[in-house]
Amino acid sequence: MKNQPAPSKFMRWFDPRFRQMGTWAFILNRVTGLGLALYLLLHLFMLSKLVQGETAYNDFIALAKTPVIKVGEMFVIAAGIIHGLNGIRIGLTSFGIGTRYQKQMFIGLMVVSLILIAGFAYVMFLGE
Amino acid sequence: MNNISKPKAGEGTTLWLVKIILGGLVIAFLVLHFIVNHLIAPGGLLNYQAVLDYYSNPIIPIIEGLFLIVVIAHCLLGVRSVILDLNPSKRLLKILDIVFVLGGSIAVGYGIWLLVILTART
Repeated sequence: MKNQPAPSKFMRWFDPRFRQMGTWAFILNRVTGLGLALYLLLHLFMLSKLVQGETAYNDFIALAKTPVIKVGEMFVIAAGIIHGLNGIRIGLTSFGIGTRYQKQMFIGLMVVSLILIAGFAYVMFLGE
Repeated sequence: MNNISKPKAGEGTTLWLVKIILGGLVIAFLVLHFIVNHLIAPGGLLNYQAVLDYYSNPIIPIIEGLFLIVVIAHCLLGVRSVILDLNPSKRLLKILDIVFVLGGSIAVGYGIWLLVILTART
């Protein structure tokens, strides 16, 4: 069957050639999901600063305001928006809603994602 | 683009359904978390005292605790689903399931412990 995942195809996630849109949606969902899982681990670790006390937490927040960390946060926001909106499409179609319009839904949701990401980037980098 | 999400071998309908429902809950909690943390909380919780003030409202630790459980469960089910694509042996999958349950329980326990400590300091 075309477009089906298999262990031998794992590295092909990163090969941009000969892709159908469904495969792009699948790859985007997996890559953003794995990225967010990694971020969740880091976020839980970072929250330990709260237990260490006021100085530790405030020092961490000062670090979080540096440009490099902000760019990293922007990636997390972008991954969250893409994974969330693509996930809504997956959830709907899993229950048989809009299965005939998956492609249109995917394109529409990714356009919305781009707009939201641009909005967040504006607020984070230019809005202060 | 005709493929729709469905349970894969080793996942089962229940886990697949739970993953999808938890995904919807994560979005709902995330929107709530974002609105409360960054739009309602003055200054966006960017200093220690602001965090303590935020947690002094008893409903907040409950919401954050539920969010933690939902997000960790969805995350681990998602990672498990990716691993299933690599076609692991039944034995390896069993070991991974134990690791996921233990890891998830530790992460939730750690998060709840953080919430209790912070709430006690308010």
